[in-house]
Amino acid sequence: MINRILRSGLLFILLFLLQVLLFNNIQFSGYVNPYVYIMFILLLPFEIPSWLLLILSFVTGLTMDLFSGTPGMHTSATVLAGFIRPYILRISSPRDGYETGSGPSMMVYGFRWFLIYASMVVFVHHLALFYLEAFRLVDFFSTMFRVILSTLFSVAFILLLEYIRKGK
Amino acid sequence: MRNLLNFLAKYNNLIIFLVLEGIAFYLLSTGNSYHNSLIVKGLRGLTEGMERRVSNANSYFHLREISQSVARENASLRTSVERSKSAENQLFFSVTDTVHSQQYTYSTAEVVNNTVNRQKNFFTINKGRLQGMSVDMAVASGDCVAGVIVGSSANFSIVMSLLNLDFRLSARLKSNGYFGSLSWDGADIRHAILSEIPQHVSFGIGDTIETTGYSALFPEGIMIGTVSGFEKSGGDFYRIEVELATDFKKLHFVNVIGNLRKEEQLELEKQFQ
Repeated sequence: MINRILRSGLLFILLFLLQVLLFNNIQFSGYVNPYVYIMFILLLPFEIPSWLLLILSFVTGLTMDLFSGTPGMHTSATVLAGFIRPYILRISSPRDGYETGSGPSMMVYGFRWFLIYASMVVFVHHLALFYLEAFRLVDFFSTMFRVILSTLFSVAFILLLEYIRKGK
Repeated sequence: MRNLLNFLAKYNNLIIFLVLEGIAFYLLSTGNSYHNSLIVKGLRGLTEGMERRVSNANSYFHLREISQSVARENASLRTSVERSKSAENQLFFSVTDTVHSQQYTYSTAEVVNNTVNRQKNFFTINKGRLQGMSVDMAVASGDCVAGVIVGSSANFSIVMSLLNLDFRLSARLKSNGYFGSLSWDGADIRHAILSEIPQHVSFGIGDTIETTGYSALFPEGIMIGTVSGFEKSGGDFYRIEVELATDFKKLHFVNVIGNLRKEEQLELEKQFQ
């Protein structure tokens, strides 16, 4: 248990270091900014009580907001992602269910499952985030374009990180 | 209580979610001026229609003050018109010339008490000596004769209504200038009697009756009413029934007209009587 908490804490710090030092500086043509910190929410264990999940999402988002100077924007998107995660886990569950004691990792449930699961959560998160950033429906389609493009990039980087984690 | 706890237990996720999102949105709206301005704009759009309605209703409640201020403005405009009018009467004048001076002053007042059902009717206005009212000032409702001040206290004045058996006013037919004496016969609050118009004068129903200015109370040419009927009465005179232009039943704001040269005129006239 303690071990798991420590590991989660380490993951949190690592992800934020990556996000702030590396990914926040990547801006493909001003459109795309991958947000990999959401991976922390993705990798929390299955049995985590949903209230804890929500509060951890809140803290994650708040931390990201502190770094990017956009109070509330990442927080609300991440809380939404944390809220939606159990439902996504439910609809994307493999035929024989989840094993207790395991986290949602590619190693256990395979690439396909992880891709679907990560894409859905990241898409919800990015959808909320970019529309909150635009905060109007005037440029609806250009915002949607940004959402989709950023989702692709974020998911790609998350998969990459998951591969590295798996190989470890 | 138990139900409440059950409810909370069942929906705790949703509640925590909503609370956290609420905090996030609070941060979003207070921390980012861009989002804040858009939220404020949106809320304003929502409340705008409501506010317009409220302000409409409000302005209706303020009609009273507005009409008061308009009446006040009216009075001051009349005073300035009077000033320029008397300037035209003289060909040359210097600013300090005592011959050139304003003859009539106008001020506005509100009727606070009014009777029409007696034989000797009076009404009370809310201005008195302190506001410059004095006995024998003329009172007009809009452009039409209403009465004459017969007594003033510090802040109120009693006005003898035209609907008073004692009320006498010099009046004339506007069409040909023949003048007579106007009084009320105590019968009908819509009608007064103009007498002493000689029978050789020709006029018709609907002719305008106005003041002459001879009495030094009313300025010349203030509307009294229109001829609604006439009959020959003894001697050589008509008895003309005048339909009054003023509706005394709804008297509200009145103009009080003071004649600044009244004393002078009366004094001079007295010497030769």
